[in-house]
Amino acid sequence: MAGTAEDGTAGDTAGETAVETSGPADPRSGSAGSAADARRSTVLPTSSPLLVWIGIGVTLFLLEAGAFFDFVVGLLADAAIAAPAPGPAVVATVKSAVTDALESIEGAAESVPTLLSRETIPNGGYWTGQGWEKTFLGLSPHLSWGIRVALVYAYAFAWAGWAVLGYRLYRREIRTVAWSPRDDMIDRFRTHSWGKFGLLVVFMFVVMAVFAPALGPTTVEQNMRNSYSYEMQYYDTQTDEVRTTLIGEANLDSQSIGSNSRVMPFTYDNYGRYHPFGTLPNGRDLFTFIAAGSRISLIIGVLSVGLSAFVAATLALTAAYYKGKVDLGSVLLSDAIMAMPQLLLLIMLSTVLADTWIGGIYSGAFILALIFAGTGWTYMWRALRGPALQVSERQWVDAARSFGQKPRTVMRKHMLPYVTGYLLIYGSMRLGGAIIAIAGLSFLGLGVAPPTPEWGRAINLGQDYVTTGSWHISLIPGILITLVVTGFNALGDGIRDAIDPKSDTESAAAGRGGGA
Amino acid sequence: MSDRATDAGTDDTVTDGDAGTADTATGDDTIDVDPDALLRVEDLRTVFYTEREEIHAVDGVSFDVHEGETVGLVGESGSGKSVTARSILGLVDSPGAIEEGAIYYRGEDLTDDNWDAHRGDIAIVFQDPGGSLNPVYTVGNQIREALRIHQGLRGSEARERAVDLLEDVGIPDARRRVDEYPHQLSGGMQQRAVIAMALACDPDLLVCDEPTTALDVTIQAQILDLLGELQREENLAILFITHDMGVIEDATDRVNVIYAGEVVERGPTEDLFEDPAHPYTRALLQSIPGRTPPDEQLPTIEGEVPTPTGPATDCRFAPRCPAAFDACTTFHPRHQPIGAEGSDRTAACLLHDDTHDRTPADVYDGTDGFAVSGGLGGPNRSAGRDGTDDRDEAAGETPGSHESQTDGGERS
Repeated sequence: MAGTAEDGTAGDTAGETAVETSGPADPRSGSAGSAADARRSTVLPTSSPLLVWIGIGVTLFLLEAGAFFDFVVGLLADAAIAAPAPGPAVVATVKSAVTDALESIEGAAESVPTLLSRETIPNGGYWTGQGWEKTFLGLSPHLSWGIRVALVYAYAFAWAGWAVLGYRLYRREIRTVAWSPRDDMIDRFRTHSWGKFGLLVVFMFVVMAVFAPALGPTTVEQNMRNSYSYEMQYYDTQTDEVRTTLIGEANLDSQSIGSNSRVMPFTYDNYGRYHPFGTLPNGRDLFTFIAAGSRISLIIGVLSVGLSAFVAATLALTAAYYKGKVDLGSVLLSDAIMAMPQLLLLIMLSTVLADTWIGGIYSGAFILALIFAGTGWTYMWRALRGPALQVSERQWVDAARSFGQKPRTVMRKHMLPYVTGYLLIYGSMRLGGAIIAIAGLSFLGLGVAPPTPEWGRAINLGQDYVTTGSWHISLIPGILITLVVTGFNALGDGIRDAIDPKSDTESAAAGRGGGA
Repeated sequence: MSDRATDAGTDDTVTDGDAGTADTATGDDTIDVDPDALLRVEDLRTVFYTEREEIHAVDGVSFDVHEGETVGLVGESGSGKSVTARSILGLVDSPGAIEEGAIYYRGEDLTDDNWDAHRGDIAIVFQDPGGSLNPVYTVGNQIREALRIHQGLRGSEARERAVDLLEDVGIPDARRRVDEYPHQLSGGMQQRAVIAMALACDPDLLVCDEPTTALDVTIQAQILDLLGELQREENLAILFITHDMGVIEDATDRVNVIYAGEVVERGPTEDLFEDPAHPYTRALLQSIPGRTPPDEQLPTIEGEVPTPTGPATDCRFAPRCPAAFDACTTFHPRHQPIGAEGSDRTAACLLHDDTHDRTPADVYDGTDGFAVSGGLGGPNRSAGRDGTDDRDEAAGETPGSHESQTDGGERS
């Protein structure tokens, strides 16, 4: 019995087996219900699991509340500063008042303690001859850093576990329906190792991007942007004393430029600084560079894929709903865009738009996202058109139209749910593509403006030293890009197989005809 | 077109008959429809444009539906029944289009892009009950969607009304069912929920497109009872589309028999079942299992409905018609009044056309069947050959599917 609901033979069987007179007393009666009952024992051993679950969530949030408020207030403050105020003086006054208020709140937010900040677990200390100073519990910098990274990931996985727990709770305790088609999708995904691998990689990448400032052994501001404005202390082994120098000066002595002068991964440089991924040719920390770079890659990727998905879905649904000339028009438009050489178009647009005001937003990342969205939506549209046309033929669409539902609502409510699966698949795969494309542009010296870190630029910086002892500079970001893109593709594969009820039968190959 | 609606009389037909094939081909035989009717379909032509050809799925259909009555539209698969229903609701999509004709709802022509003004006045129940319900939303959610549009109800008010509607259509334990997903309901329950959804629009006319075809016989009877009950309670007019003559006999007041996109016979259900005038109607009635003695083979109509790809130049049923004679392949029959004056019955068959000398008496044996035993599809398909001297000559001219029939005739 349990097998029927679990193995994904899907809605049809469940629909037929549902009996008209199934007992009103127990909403979970029926085949799927018994499956849920059998596994209920794994749920929290408490009478009010929901409260426990909410409690865990609040606790997790409080651990990082400071960082969260800091981020939100910082975002608001940036927005307030960036917002143009051409109006009368009153507006300007109000604006400056708002900015001041936000700044004071920002200061308050910074004082809220957070578990995972570099202030709580510092690793930027120095050797005094007897022991480590200003590091976490006097441990060595690499241990301090390791603890912080481990805590960050443990924290992130705790959130993930919390979400999984919440889903199970919802599925077994809260909702009244014993089975829904989504359950089968989730269950299919849970048995898909390749997809789970992808999810793990993507999750770790996203965590890296989100916690980038806390993960690096140092910060972009101190180590890269304004390295000559910050001082650091180090232990001079020749004179046996603690000295002070500018970080920029220290960087000059920590360069990786060949076989003789290099700081390799998992080593300390001469200034007692730990470099998990070694240093760049200019002496900056590669891990900090990569962590910060992952953030900008993810932002561009999500923004561009989100925009393309929006355009593609809107166009595909509109064309499928109205058919005829609208459909023909969208085919012509996207074919015209696809006919242009993609890479040349990218290079041309990013060069031409680089000096405009919009090109300055977020080191040029914003305009890049727009360019990727403008040229990339066609691929997603192409993948969505078929499913959209298919769902437009379904009777419930006609039923909704027949009782006068507005076209926009019909598209959103009755057609969109059937293409979201495809949006997820192709979105995931396009995200990988976007990350490669951004890295490619940075490699060519275009795209995100220096010194904002970007993975492709690290590869570019290291390419002269690939054959020398400083091979790590290009290799590490190269491997990471490959891994992340593979992860996004694997995730896409997993989602595709999960939403396709035929994929776990013998005709798995036939089920993969999605064109991806 | 509508101005010709009234002049389908005998005199006019004589003129047309004399004018010959060309004129008959273009001539439309719009039948008399009541201008006061709730729904009036006049000479509706819906064409689908495929890459290779134009398919005239509905080719000059006219009928009317009065308030509170049930009108049947019966025909085989592919005869244009469903396209007629979709045309009435304005659901014909590209590559199809309503090319000619008018659909008057309370005197207003819907084909002038007036559908949106009358959304909800006409509701439809489709054949596949599961198909009309979106599987990702609960039944209640979908009923509330219609309630919100047509009755402006929201929140708990809409929920209460949805429960009431589900109770009205005979769903037990409606308060719980309203929160269930379509897959949790059986086929019969789904169809009841779809009817509830249609009723949420508070319609005056319910178009039922084969509402019971996908259901088993007991559920079918329940749904028919339900529709009858709702009609009495709410004074609903129902346009009942089906291929099942049995259902038509049970459920309808008047009936239109449709074949290859054309109405071939229309009249009050009782009269039509008692004395079918068109050979096609006769053949359909013969193929109802209960009407044939148990030990005889059930007669069938051989062949299939042709796909009309151009204007009619002949009787489209002629290739399959046991009573066909040579004129059937050269003249497009027009509707002729049948029976007593004012009986509101017409049939589009040359047997009833005074300009041709063949009469029904020549081919019908006074019972349900045709003059020759075996009748439809039988080996001795020579029905109606008496008195047609030119029949064999004509056989040479008849194309395609006609030949098998001719062969059968020669053997006998």
